[in-house]
Amino acid sequence: MADQVGAAPPSGAAQTAQTATARYKWPEKPTLLGTAVKRLDGPDKVTGRARYSYDINRPGMLYGRIVRSPHPHARVVSVDTSAAEKAPGVRAVLAWKEPGTQVMYQGDPVAAVAADTEERANDAARLVRVRYEQLPHLNSVEQAMAADAPAIFPGGNVRDGAKDETGALDDGFAKAAHVVEATYSTHVITHVCLETHGCVCEWDGDKLTAWISTQAVIQSAQQFAQGLKIPQANVHCITQYMGGGFGSKFGPDSQGLICAKLAQQAKAPVKLMLDRKEEHLDTGNRPSATAHIRAGVTSDGMLSAFDAQSWGTGGAGAPSGFPLPYIYNFPNRKRTHKDVFINAGQQRAMRAPGHPQGCFLTEILMDELADRVKMDPVEFRVKNLPPRAPNAMWADYFTMGAKRFGWDKRHPTGDQTVGPIKTGMGVSAHRWGGAGRGSQSHIDIMSDGSVVVKCGTQDIGTGTRTIVAIVAAETLGLPVGAVKVEIGDSVLPFSGGSGGSTTAASVTPAIRSTSVDALDALFAKVAPTLGAKPEDLVAAGGRIHVKGNTSKGVAWKDACKLIGTEPISVDGKWVEGLSGSGTSGVQFAEATVDVETGVVKVTRILAIQDCGLVVDKLTAEHQALGGVIAAVNFALFEDRLLDRVTGQMVNPNMEWYLLAGMSDVPKIDIVLNNMPERGVIGIGEPPTVSTASAIANAVRNATGATIRSLPLHPHKVLAAIEQEKAGGTL
Amino acid sequence: MKAFAYVNPANEREAVAALKVDGIAMPIGGGQDLLARMKDYIDSPDRLVNVKILDASVTQTPDGGLRIGSAVKIVDLAENAQVAKLYPAVVHAAGEVGTPQIRNQGTVGGNINQRPRCWYFRNEEFVCFKKGGSRCFAVGGENQYHAIFGNNGPSHIVHPSSLAVPFVAYGAKFRVFGPKGEREVAAADFFTMPTMANVRKENVLEDDEILTHVILPAPGAVKTGHYEVRYKQSHDWPLAFTTVVLTMNGNTIASARVVLGAVAPVPWRSRPAEEALAGKPLNEQTAIAAGEAAVSEARPMSGNVYKVQIAKTAVKRAIMQAAGLRTV
Amino acid sequence: MSSKDDQGFSRRNFLKTAGLSGLAGAVTAAGVADADAQTGPRVLGPGDVPITLMVNGKRLDLKIEPRVTLLDAIRNRVDLTGNKRVCDRGACGACTMIVDGRTVYSCSTLAIEVQGKQIRTVDGLANGATLHPVQQAFCDVDALMCGFCTPGFVVATVALLEKHPNATPEQMRKGLDGNICRCGTFVRIMEAAVKAKGVLRG
Repeated sequence: MADQVGAAPPSGAAQTAQTATARYKWPEKPTLLGTAVKRLDGPDKVTGRARYSYDINRPGMLYGRIVRSPHPHARVVSVDTSAAEKAPGVRAVLAWKEPGTQVMYQGDPVAAVAADTEERANDAARLVRVRYEQLPHLNSVEQAMAADAPAIFPGGNVRDGAKDETGALDDGFAKAAHVVEATYSTHVITHVCLETHGCVCEWDGDKLTAWISTQAVIQSAQQFAQGLKIPQANVHCITQYMGGGFGSKFGPDSQGLICAKLAQQAKAPVKLMLDRKEEHLDTGNRPSATAHIRAGVTSDGMLSAFDAQSWGTGGAGAPSGFPLPYIYNFPNRKRTHKDVFINAGQQRAMRAPGHPQGCFLTEILMDELADRVKMDPVEFRVKNLPPRAPNAMWADYFTMGAKRFGWDKRHPTGDQTVGPIKTGMGVSAHRWGGAGRGSQSHIDIMSDGSVVVKCGTQDIGTGTRTIVAIVAAETLGLPVGAVKVEIGDSVLPFSGGSGGSTTAASVTPAIRSTSVDALDALFAKVAPTLGAKPEDLVAAGGRIHVKGNTSKGVAWKDACKLIGTEPISVDGKWVEGLSGSGTSGVQFAEATVDVETGVVKVTRILAIQDCGLVVDKLTAEHQALGGVIAAVNFALFEDRLLDRVTGQMVNPNMEWYLLAGMSDVPKIDIVLNNMPERGVIGIGEPPTVSTASAIANAVRNATGATIRSLPLHPHKVLAAIEQEKAGGTL
Repeated sequence: MKAFAYVNPANEREAVAALKVDGIAMPIGGGQDLLARMKDYIDSPDRLVNVKILDASVTQTPDGGLRIGSAVKIVDLAENAQVAKLYPAVVHAAGEVGTPQIRNQGTVGGNINQRPRCWYFRNEEFVCFKKGGSRCFAVGGENQYHAIFGNNGPSHIVHPSSLAVPFVAYGAKFRVFGPKGEREVAAADFFTMPTMANVRKENVLEDDEILTHVILPAPGAVKTGHYEVRYKQSHDWPLAFTTVVLTMNGNTIASARVVLGAVAPVPWRSRPAEEALAGKPLNEQTAIAAGEAAVSEARPMSGNVYKVQIAKTAVKRAIMQAAGLRTV
Repeated sequence: MSSKDDQGFSRRNFLKTAGLSGLAGAVTAAGVADADAQTGPRVLGPGDVPITLMVNGKRLDLKIEPRVTLLDAIRNRVDLTGNKRVCDRGACGACTMIVDGRTVYSCSTLAIEVQGKQIRTVDGLANGATLHPVQQAFCDVDALMCGFCTPGFVVATVALLEKHPNATPEQMRKGLDGNICRCGTFVRIMEAAVKAKGVLRG
């Protein structure tokens, strides 16, 4: 699926390849890097052998269950655990909130029990009697921002956020031939990790082992230690496999600490995994985003002014910021943001935090402005891009993508085809960071040829386990299967949490440098037997041989026999020059709208994405496929819905919290632009940024009606079509 | 869920006897609805009585109709050639129920007797009329999936059964068995519009009765249409759907039965649509007019006006389908 | 009109299939009591009752409460953790197993109700180190990411291709519509299903 994108990127940008220490540089002609390498843990996952935290069963294990506030805001008057304590099978009970303290959202944890079966733990939890004094609560941004809103949060329900002002707004509007003024918004969604949050905790004296579903095995150990006030050295976290995080799993949270305390009290291991309802209520969400925008464009299609007031809610006391405007060059701009607090679960980073919001709030506007100046939306965007750079390749991607997608067949806004099914196309652009540093690793090469690579990183489904093996195998000239990988354990060499699309860029340089150092140590042992100098040797095709003379060499296993009983054992870490920062991408969408029912179907997506040096083509492309599908959900289906009166979530399940199934998924074309000269950059997040915007623009193109908020539910589509007939949304 | 005792009766008599306990006993069919309700503590019976032991066959009746046992699995109904030939809308509806896994376990009786999907009903925190409380939270609440017809209250749910709609449209009867023996209830009379007296149920089945059979009369020479509108295509409740059964006189509609689903607390028989069809030629204009008529008595709630348009479209397209015309 | 027991289901048949025939004398087994004074069918539970499950060709004897689902019995009591719990409400398919040839949501199935049936789970699909063609296809085309939905999809795909060896793309989509993935592996799962169909057809 790789495709030529265009001319080589301009020089002057970060020349990462040249700053790398020469011996660590990525190979000019790799054998494995950038190829399609099958995931190492595929067999374990497809057979069910892979053990996730949810699957850990320990001898004598108990099951934990948390009691949570059903109210969005209340004072805890009393917590009576006496009946629970006497319930069959119960071995531990704890109160998590003290009388007199407040619960600030539905789902706030209050108490917990542990019992010998899950069923009995549930029974016992229901016997905990909590008396609440219900308090006024805020269920929506509108309620929180109203002049007569009750003062719930210290410092106010609304807090000033970012302010940005550049250029001269009045001049900008003076230059503008057309002005669009409208309000755009995106909604709150939850992560819906399929494996819920939780862990199994087991004490051995004062030492804790926690099998935890996390994106940050070492960071989680640190937080367990802090939360339980025990030495870090006493905590061992293990995460060989985890069932999805998407930004929400970076520590033990309340459930992990509760689990550890229950296990302490019961003197037995405890498994505490959240159920689906708890997962929706108390493990984070993507905050909402709304902006009232006034924007101006000159008669020849140059953006000239952008004036926005934005706000959003991240729940109880949590922020909601996002970049605005996004991508395009508005030379005169002003933007103020406010965080609005409501009594609901707090936000957590969710796949490309802030960017899907900023993108949507800008990209619909861009199509509206393009229509004002009667310009093609792609042409209009290309006119208003920041200068081309290796991390800003949108012009190339727009041009190439338009051709590949068949953009020339796009009709102007409003499909005139007879019949209720209208078709439309839309486009969107995005950027991301994806840099990394700070990882360590260790390699052992043993006398029988075994290679073990160790790193305290984790594989959250992205394929980290596999790219570690690829980098080591590439370096050592071995097949991927010859490298044993150990990750997912806090006792392994330090590595950071897997978030921000930083893992590949943090981990692969460490593996590279460590493998190169280990190989050098092996070369030192082999060189004399070949009558050569170590610097003359290369490792390739399972052999160590003199550069340019394959026959003057030995097979890997024979080379390793020279190692002796003490293995080659090398510690290494991240080095400069092998990774980079800054990626760009563009996406095109085609959708049909049944204007008699309001039902939107996405038919196809084209996603053009770069990520520096592609390590594993298969897993990198899959990240892009997954990111696009996640955004199809954001655009059409999922929605965290609170009852406007009681403030409680009405859809804390997977029945009414809608996620796409097989029949809802469009055809997706991924074009990965491999840029080896830029070093490794992350790809987990950027592909999810643009899709919803491209889809919304496709819907606008199809119907001729502008919908300025997500999700694109039939009720909005029908209302927009009605409004358009009555005199306009355009 | 709360712990319960389990009984496997040998026949319907034993099943009904086993429903008599000190406490609450409920029949369990496929369990695809009941078990979820029990996990959410909407129901916490002391005893479950297995009714999968009831008749699971589809047999012809002397008058040329069919008798469908309540223990027939949805998948078997959907794949039954006799049903497909005589009552195509039933097969169509059965094939769209849930997902393959649900169809493999769910039963005809369970589908008919399932409780509402209303999220206030399904969440323990909301003590609504149907749970002995004193309000319907859909009023002034999140009602985008609630009723657009029959909205006098007290409850504004939509009946969730996919099969109920074609059964009503085809004039089915349900055989009910209880301590006093058997009785037959017309499908159209089985489902009840909510009143303060009956709001805790959606149908006339007493707690000590079971539904054992669906009895369909010979269909006659009819043209049928069945159209469902859903948002998510893979697994979702329909926003509105309908079965239309047209008795023809040449190319003129002699009479019609038009029943809508997911729009009212009961399968909603639309007399205005039926009147708009009677005596008319079977063509697109007639279909459009019938759709308009079908929603003429709609009284939507604050958040579900859009369902009126969707219901109208479903009726129109079902009639187009019956006419052998393209629906879109 | 008295109803026919169309399946000829007698209490003796029930006891046989429930594996209780050996307990005829042991009426004192925990929780087992007669319904109404020696008439009518046996009442099981609410406490633990002995049940027998045939899982992947092996007989498993358990003592569990009637309220324990097939999924929880298999995961928690027999440590066959390939099958996952995700929504626990029959909405996502992660718990999919095959019972007497048909897929079911094991979270929405009582363990006591599938006695006497052939239960197949993901844990039993591979033949030692040799993966089932569906499993192999998933690995070959990289149809997985975090892997938590994967067992359910693998089982659903196996059942789909056993029922429809010549499944059309539409049948494949509908056949897999009962499973959800959050990572977004749908595109490649379809590719794997197509590949496996080819392999299985020979």
